[in-house]
Amino acid sequence: MNLSFGLYLVLNTAAVLLIAPLFVSIIKKVKAWTQGRSGPSVFQTYFTLAKLLKKETVYSSHSSWVMRLTPYVSIAAVLVAALFVPLVFVPEPVGGIGNIILLLYLLALARFFMALAGLDAGSSFGGMGSSREMSISAIIEPTTIIVFAALVFVFKSLNVFDMFAASAAAGAPATPTLILLGISLFIILVVETSRIPVDNPETHLELTMIHEGMILEQSGKNLALMELSAAVKLTLLMALLLNLIVPFGLTTTLAIGTIAVAAVLFVLKATVLAGIIGLFESSMAKMRFFRLPSLFAMAFFFSTLIIIIEVFA
Amino acid sequence: MIDGLFILSLGIFVLGVLLPLAGSWKDLRIFRAGSHLCTIAGSVLLGAISLFLLLTGNDVAWTAYQPVAGFSLSFAIDRLSAFFLLLISVVSACVALYAAEYNEHLEGGLRRNLLSACTNLFILSMVLVVASANTFSFLFFWELMAGCSFLLVMYDYSHSATRKAGLFYFVMTHLSTLFVLLGIVLLFSSTGSFALAPAGVSPVSVIAFLALLIGFSIKAGIIPFHKWLPYAHPASPTPISALMSGVMLKIAVYGLLRFLLDVFSPELWWGILILVMGTVTAVLGIIYALKEYDIKAMLAYSSIENTGIIFMGIGLYVIFSSYQLPDLALISLLSALFHALNHAMFKSLLFLTAGSVVHATHTRDIEKMGGLIHRMPSTAGLFFVGALAIAALPPLNGFASEVLLFISFFSSIAVADPLFKVLLFLCLGLFALTSALSAACFVKAFGSVFLALPRSPESGRAEEVPFLMLLGPALLASACILLGLFAAQLFLVAGFTVPMPDLFLVGLLLLAMLVLTFAALFFTASRDVRITETWGCGTLSQQPAMEYSGHGFSEPIDIIFSTVYRTKMKNERTFFDQKNCIFAEGKAGIRLIRVFEEYLYLPVARASYAAAETVSRLQSGCLDTYLLYVFCAVIAVIVFLGWLA
Repeated sequence: MNLSFGLYLVLNTAAVLLIAPLFVSIIKKVKAWTQGRSGPSVFQTYFTLAKLLKKETVYSSHSSWVMRLTPYVSIAAVLVAALFVPLVFVPEPVGGIGNIILLLYLLALARFFMALAGLDAGSSFGGMGSSREMSISAIIEPTTIIVFAALVFVFKSLNVFDMFAASAAAGAPATPTLILLGISLFIILVVETSRIPVDNPETHLELTMIHEGMILEQSGKNLALMELSAAVKLTLLMALLLNLIVPFGLTTTLAIGTIAVAAVLFVLKATVLAGIIGLFESSMAKMRFFRLPSLFAMAFFFSTLIIIIEVFA
Repeated sequence: MIDGLFILSLGIFVLGVLLPLAGSWKDLRIFRAGSHLCTIAGSVLLGAISLFLLLTGNDVAWTAYQPVAGFSLSFAIDRLSAFFLLLISVVSACVALYAAEYNEHLEGGLRRNLLSACTNLFILSMVLVVASANTFSFLFFWELMAGCSFLLVMYDYSHSATRKAGLFYFVMTHLSTLFVLLGIVLLFSSTGSFALAPAGVSPVSVIAFLALLIGFSIKAGIIPFHKWLPYAHPASPTPISALMSGVMLKIAVYGLLRFLLDVFSPELWWGILILVMGTVTAVLGIIYALKEYDIKAMLAYSSIENTGIIFMGIGLYVIFSSYQLPDLALISLLSALFHALNHAMFKSLLFLTAGSVVHATHTRDIEKMGGLIHRMPSTAGLFFVGALAIAALPPLNGFASEVLLFISFFSSIAVADPLFKVLLFLCLGLFALTSALSAACFVKAFGSVFLALPRSPESGRAEEVPFLMLLGPALLASACILLGLFAAQLFLVAGFTVPMPDLFLVGLLLLAMLVLTFAALFFTASRDVRITETWGCGTLSQQPAMEYSGHGFSEPIDIIFSTVYRTKMKNERTFFDQKNCIFAEGKAGIRLIRVFEEYLYLPVARASYAAAETVSRLQSGCLDTYLLYVFCAVIAVIVFLGWLA
């Protein structure tokens, strides 16, 4: 492991942690605007996290070490996964860091713990959330893997770093194949981050909640960790989409000037994407749970068709 | 030297068979303990030998007994055999540690001596199947393995459920032997020898392959030949379930691989056949596992799923070999072999810990468990490791082998022809679905068994199991962790370069992030903790009935895959008024159909029964009629011989 990779590990993690809460707030702000409200400040998520850190942690008397360990495993898994998706600077991959399958399964690791924590306290809300989350994640999985397989085919590499380096070298504009894959990636982003039409991140109502149901029993600093890991997950999926489709500014050289430009560009691009996510969420209602499989089946056939037509033509 | 040591280890197993039999004059624990000690000693020696052969790549061969020329019991150990011997020895040693304590808690007095003896014979027969150098000794020990395992399944024969399971298993396992026998006889007829040597390409060898494939599929639990697993595993004692699921299924995989590699020259469609069989088995296996509430039957279905994954790897190997892609073929083969090893580790771990849970709660129904994490913390921790491994989560071993299979799928896309790519895509999608569903299945299993509140008084009174019943699973759990963390390094040591991510690095990164997060929060965040009741919308106290049950957990998946389950819901209502407003009475019911049993097994059974009825009409019991039959037969033979001449 060389120096630039070590530097990358530290800087990328710090950058993700710093910037992730911002995008959550931006989406909320856009949604508030479309509803005619002024909405909370774009820094509200930071304030919320700071507040949660100061609160006491409440555990159920029935819960076990699963509940206590989950927030830490969740944030650790998501942060390691974030290392697989460089935000602005792409180093040479070391020891399989950046492997796209490993990225997917690190997110699955966080989800596995979160679902178990939902069951731990014996609350029926948590159980409902866990059950739905595991079902949804199972049926979206074929689509995700097909899209990833197409990316692997297009970029001739299993590694996200190589993909980013290739797209940075090619620069804009993206090919039609990539744009179509981008649509599929967007669907995956919406599903994985529990957003409308799959789940509603705003409410704790039992009819709609999936992700919020699972973390209902979390409190204090543990809740802060869960919120933060959700934000980091959102950021890393956004970065995956952005750096493949619109790689302006993405750099493979370690120089302060280019990285600063790249960072500014990334924040701008991600803000726009967050705005699009907010508009997308505002434009539709949450779907009934058992209507989701048909949506996913559509996404699956859509992505398979793209791949067959574009990749193999 | 090595063959001497190998025979010594066989001798130790034989001693393990004889010791409890010799000691059956009195019900003493010491004889059974001695037998288990023999298993452990034999396994350790065997493990050391096979590890040596695996790493050095040396081959050993000798003939033990040759009554007539061309007809011998002879043995050979190459790298493939050594790999499977290693698998057998690790699982056997850990299971024997567990059984030494577990078997003492079984009912049955002196029958327990027989159990220990038979277990040793079972392990011995599996070792000899793997070490066989020709098809004759392969078949001989294959049948010995089938017989022993039948006896072991029937241990608890006083229960009618066990007798039913035993009979079912007996029929299926002999069907398997029948097909293997057919394949071997066909091979003999075409090559004229029992040697495991290339048989060339001929129509006979294709039929022989199909017969062997069916034979091995029945033993490996490939759908639609899988039904014996969910019957036999719950019925047999826990160490036997662990051995059958962890090891015996792999012997079938070994058989298939041995014949594919050494005897046949596989064609493309063989590979496609194996891949499709594997994919269907993997998906349906895990879908059925999700529906089970008997913990051992659930694990049995999950074994079916994992065998399917192994078959997918083998199928890809054959496909890539016939496309002349040796690198990809090697990765696929390694993924199949590595998954066989990993599955042996985590599935026997899961069976043993599940056995501990059943031992403590006296039920196999996961709906009657719950809250065991507080009363059986060590068992819970060990089961948790197994669940993480089987759900293919990094950095454990289940992920290490599945990632190899993913890599070979992903790399295949660039090279195969178009129609074939569509098939591969479909299989890849279904494989991803399988792996995600297995995560859901084990969240359900761990959640229902160990978390929340106990759902029955027995579960509330459960106690942690004794030390030996923790030690065996603990060794397997550490194997799961080490095989995962050092997977990439192990392949390097064995001399293979595979494009595998370094899971040790990932493990280190995960640990670093955990420690850093903990440290950061320790210094910045509030450390106040309050323990209180679970929030329940204002209810006074949390009741077990309020929890999400296992059935409830898998309900969404039940509904989404209802076409696969073919669940029939009935809802009949009568009303007092014409507008159907005032409800009078009604009936509602859900019937879960056992698809394969009702649409495949029972029709076949009924047809063969009807055929037997028809034939039995010939047997009137009247001597004159029988004389007529004999007369007709003699005339027919004379005419036939005359026609031949």
